[in-house]
Amino acid sequence: MFKAVLNIPSAEPKDIRWFYDQYAPMLLGYINGIVQDHQKSEDQLVSILTSFVKDVVLQEKSRLNIWLELRQYAQSKLTLFTAKDHHLKPNQFVNQGKLDLLDDLQKQIFCAVYYHGKSIPYLAAKMDSDENEIRNQLKLSIDKMRRASGN
Amino acid sequence: MEINKIIESGLMETYVMGIATEEEVQKVLSLKKEFPAFKDALEQLEYDIEVLAQSMSIEPPAGTLAKIEHEINEIQRRNQAVQTAEPESRHDKNDQENKQERYIEVESESNQMRVNKAWKWVFIAVFVLGKVFLASAIYFYLENRQAQEQIKELKIELKQKIR
Repeated sequence: MFKAVLNIPSAEPKDIRWFYDQYAPMLLGYINGIVQDHQKSEDQLVSILTSFVKDVVLQEKSRLNIWLELRQYAQSKLTLFTAKDHHLKPNQFVNQGKLDLLDDLQKQIFCAVYYHGKSIPYLAAKMDSDENEIRNQLKLSIDKMRRASGN
Repeated sequence: MEINKIIESGLMETYVMGIATEEEVQKVLSLKKEFPAFKDALEQLEYDIEVLAQSMSIEPPAGTLAKIEHEINEIQRRNQAVQTAEPESRHDKNDQENKQERYIEVESESNQMRVNKAWKWVFIAVFVLGKVFLASAIYFYLENRQAQEQIKELKIELKQKIR
């Protein structure tokens, strides 16, 4: 009733619902991997999805694959959690999914890159290893999980 | 052959993970334009990363969508209010400026004053009434003085009779 009285166009509910159904569970899984607290993750999910829908989806500004953009957007909003020095241990609270297929080193590298956005040179320095080796291990870990999905 | 080497180099993985350097990003974008095989491989990797994220997804609690929809509508309502308030305040400012322009301040140099002709009769009436009041005041003053003198004379007569 209020919308009709005030003549305010609301956001397209169908689009938001579609976007939510498609990406909210994935994003919550991802946020939980960073924040490692269910309640905080749910709060962050509302805040990040709201601002992403407002800034990117409704403005039709998306240039990349939408999940990649959403993941990078979430990472930029969670700098409070990702900026701290990464301890290079796989996250305990993460819904492991295909991470179980990886060995410890691959799991460490993948989690540091995927959840915390750590760069190859940073990890090489931190693990006292060669950059090419880190890059190679990252590729191997992704390939393993892709193969397990039948790709 | 060369493109297969690049595909296997791990460049695409660092790009898709969002940790590629600016130089690497530019390289990926130009390779994507130039080589359809590279473009296909990159799109397949992006899709697979999405599938991987789906395998690690967590179902949000009920009511989360309603919260998001409510917040988005609130933001839009606020933006709408700001947009409508801005032109109104601009309009008010223009009105004030226009009013100031309509009235020109003039400093009078003449000592003369112009008065409506109707006031002439009012001034005459006031003048005549003033004269009437003055004449009556003089008349009653003289009458009063005369009465006082008569009282004095009567008092003297009475005193003389008593003696």
